[in-house]
Amino acid sequence: MNPYFFRFRNSLALKVIVSTVLLSVGVIYIAGSALNSQLSAGIKKVNRQSSIVEARSTIFSAQYRLLLVQGENNAAVRKVISNVISSATSLTSNENAREVVFLRSPGNTKSIDYEITSNLVDPSSIPDFLSTKVRKSSDIGISYVKIQYISGLQIPGLAIGQKISIPNAGQYEMYMIFSLANQNTTLKLIQRYLFLTGIALILLIGLITWLVIRQVVRPVRHAALVATQFTAGNFSERLEVRSQDEIAKLGKAFNEMAESLEQQFARLQNLSRVQQRFVSDVSHELRTPLTTLRMASEVIFSARDGFDPIVARSAELMIAQLDRFERLLEDLLEISRFDAEVAVLEAVDFDVVSLARQCADDLALVASEKSTELRIYSIAESVNIRADVRRVARILRNLFSNAIDHAEEKPIAITIIASDDDVAIGIRDFGVGLDEATLFRVFDRFWRADPSRARTRGGTGLGLSIALEDARLHNGELEAWGRPGKGAHFVVTLPREAGSGINSRLIKLQPDDYRA
Amino acid sequence: MTLVMVVDDDQDLSEMLGIVLTGAGIDVDLVSRGDEALEVFRNNPPDLVLLDVMLPGLNGIEVCRLIRAESMVPIIMLSAKSDSYDVVLGLEAGADDYIVKPFKHPSELVARIRTRLRRTNTDISGLLTIGDLAIDVTAHQVLRAGKQIALTRLEFDLLVALAKEPGRVFSRDALLTEVWGYRHSTDTRLVNVHVQRLRAKIEHDAERPEIVVTIRGVGYKAGVMGGS
Repeated sequence: MNPYFFRFRNSLALKVIVSTVLLSVGVIYIAGSALNSQLSAGIKKVNRQSSIVEARSTIFSAQYRLLLVQGENNAAVRKVISNVISSATSLTSNENAREVVFLRSPGNTKSIDYEITSNLVDPSSIPDFLSTKVRKSSDIGISYVKIQYISGLQIPGLAIGQKISIPNAGQYEMYMIFSLANQNTTLKLIQRYLFLTGIALILLIGLITWLVIRQVVRPVRHAALVATQFTAGNFSERLEVRSQDEIAKLGKAFNEMAESLEQQFARLQNLSRVQQRFVSDVSHELRTPLTTLRMASEVIFSARDGFDPIVARSAELMIAQLDRFERLLEDLLEISRFDAEVAVLEAVDFDVVSLARQCADDLALVASEKSTELRIYSIAESVNIRADVRRVARILRNLFSNAIDHAEEKPIAITIIASDDDVAIGIRDFGVGLDEATLFRVFDRFWRADPSRARTRGGTGLGLSIALEDARLHNGELEAWGRPGKGAHFVVTLPREAGSGINSRLIKLQPDDYRA
Repeated sequence: MTLVMVVDDDQDLSEMLGIVLTGAGIDVDLVSRGDEALEVFRNNPPDLVLLDVMLPGLNGIEVCRLIRAESMVPIIMLSAKSDSYDVVLGLEAGADDYIVKPFKHPSELVARIRTRLRRTNTDISGLLTIGDLAIDVTAHQVLRAGKQIALTRLEFDLLVALAKEPGRVFSRDALLTEVWGYRHSTDTRLVNVHVQRLRAKIEHDAERPEIVVTIRGVGYKAGVMGGS
């Protein structure tokens, strides 16, 4: 992504400044335009009125002077006309240039022609609609025009004309054209100043916003920094609170939160210590009597040949239940170690395929008692991984035992697939299977798929929970799939280097042999 | 008859241990407090000490250290915790072996005790040399330049195991089988701790061992000292 965009997204200050500046550009543009149009309208109006007054008086005096030469020869008339033109176009230094145009009205058939313009203005500067209007009215006609000189020069102007009659020559129209060049220059100047003022205002607004925002953002940035330290586990960091404003309130609230977090953390740590201590104590306290019990029962058991058959059977049952009790104790202790987060991973290098074979061999007798068998299909003869061998063996034993318990006398397929980074082991049975609701709870502690099912192997009910915790301790994953009557599929995926995390699923959870 | 001193504060367990060991033909001396253990030990020296870790008066690790300070008698720790810390502490204090409660079988306990009591290496006799050490297997003595170095029976066995096959590299598992009598145990801490203890006694510089050499990633072998 564009780095500037990225910066924009990540900086509150930049965001506020940019939006403030954009908004002020809009506001200043609207204000400037309004001011500009007001000013130019005013200037134009004043100019126009003074031009009308001047034109009226000039045209009136021209008419009057022409009346005075009524009946005299053409030379006198011509002289009056040229006087009129020269006096009308003579300028004081700060005035706008002005031109005079005499146009002979159409229909005037007199032979003598007084059509004349000042300063080589092209008569076509007067548009037709204006001359038509002037001819039809006795009053003046007004229009904004472009003054065209013969030389080709064009400047904007205001033309004001009226009918005028010239002795011996009949009906003419006299126009005065006031140059608007000066007016336009003034307007342009005003526009330029408005524009520059706008730009300066925008820059100033940006600067002010930046200064203001810095006051707000700096403490926020600091708070963010401290919060980051918090995440890293450093709870001793605090914000500096100096004033009474909202930022200070934020700081105070933050510090209070920090205080409370620190206390909570200490409390939890203490709880965890108490828990570990408790686990350790329970361990010791239970193990000693269990040891005595075990030895006593072994002594009784080894002497069972001399007993009454009922007593001998009782001794056997006692031994079996002690075994189960011991397994349960071990599993409970392991679970509480996971809960207290004190379970440690002791990684060593080993071959997971031969480990799986060994686990399968250990359970072969149990499997054959249940008329099933564990078949291992491995992608390679050996797959070396670095993991906690005790835990991986426990995962496999738990999953194998679980499959044997539910296999319903059908063989169990164990698939081992490895990539460079991960290894996956799938345990597929074709027995009772699981439904959707069951899948959800299959890793729950002490949970059984079917409470009415006889518990024949004396499992602890913690096997799958521990397997899941063991897999997660390796940063691996253990997932379950099943359909009622179609068997189940458990897939454990582990990183080949313990703790590095898995980035693939080498075995599909829903087995290929299953069609919905 | 063999005498085993059992130090455990649990009366019932002690009595049960007594029954099992007596049944196996071993005499038992029961002690219930840590601070009484040393006195009983001195008055009636046993062939082996079975020592619980948690004891009133003085904990098992301290008792172990005190006994080891004056005797080479085999010591087996009884621990209720398989967590490494206790075990390593016990081994470092001089225990030869440990058993985690509850043990699978009373016979397992008896077997361990017998392993520690048997006279090993009866198949070889005479003199072995390793580095600048002379080992008199028959007399159970280790000599350097005519001076005797006191080793526990286990340390002696460990040294002999390495010395009798000078070229061979022993994996930790192989040593566990050879010296401790385990068939398949993965607790290599036993080997590590005892090699450290042995080195402290026989090496010139335990930081740079020349007699018991570590082969990284494999195990240990008897070192050949430069020139000798």
